[in-house]
Amino acid sequence: MSISSNLGDKIAETRDFVVNSASLKEVRSFSREVFERIEINQDLKDELVLAIAEAAQNIVKHAYKGIENTEDKMEIKISLSKDNELEIGFFDKGKPVDDAKVRHRNIDDIKPGGLGTFFIQQIMDAVVFREGEKPWINHLILTKKL
Amino acid sequence: MTYKVTEDGNISTIFLDGEIDMDVTEKAKEIIMPLIEAKKEVHINLKEVQYMDSSGISVLIESHQKATEMGTKVILKEISKSVLKVIMMAKLEQILNLD
Repeated sequence: MSISSNLGDKIAETRDFVVNSASLKEVRSFSREVFERIEINQDLKDELVLAIAEAAQNIVKHAYKGIENTEDKMEIKISLSKDNELEIGFFDKGKPVDDAKVRHRNIDDIKPGGLGTFFIQQIMDAVVFREGEKPWINHLILTKKL
Repeated sequence: MTYKVTEDGNISTIFLDGEIDMDVTEKAKEIIMPLIEAKKEVHINLKEVQYMDSSGISVLIESHQKATEMGTKVILKEISKSVLKVIMMAKLEQILNLD
């Protein structure tokens, strides 16, 4: 499902994806399609696509940890305000995220894993977790001034 | 992701192609790890990898550490611009063997 709205925003696109790792490619395609409409350089577009894909991956890996073959969907909303504030919302129905436990690993402690959240924080200006409004459980908001 | 492996003496070169994300990391490990366990020097050619996320970076770290443990090494070859950017974002350019 894709919903477009121009009310108050230059861009507002929403799409939902089945919560599994195979959807991550579709998440990137959706993000690239939206960013094609925004005049920013390719490097920044690539970084934003990475941040979005990492956040979606965190939903699959953490909010749905131990839950396989779910038919649940996550929703991603990308919007750009008239004053060029980019906001990306992620909605899911997985396990409630404890904001205090969402930390990237020490970047100097070289080991596999724990980098996704670090990348998101490097790329975006702000990362905020909210309790989702029904039917959602989690609502993650990433923002960046373009 | 697709791949091709070539052998030259004790050097195995893995040519990866496509996008490397969480969905293909197990497959990537299945290709890389047996070569390291066979104590091959493994070259991973990343010229045709257009996208790599943190899961792909984790495979590179795991491969590097396994190679060190086995007394061999993994060298990253012809790294594409987009992959190099992610390696640098993870501050791994001094840790992994880049060529």
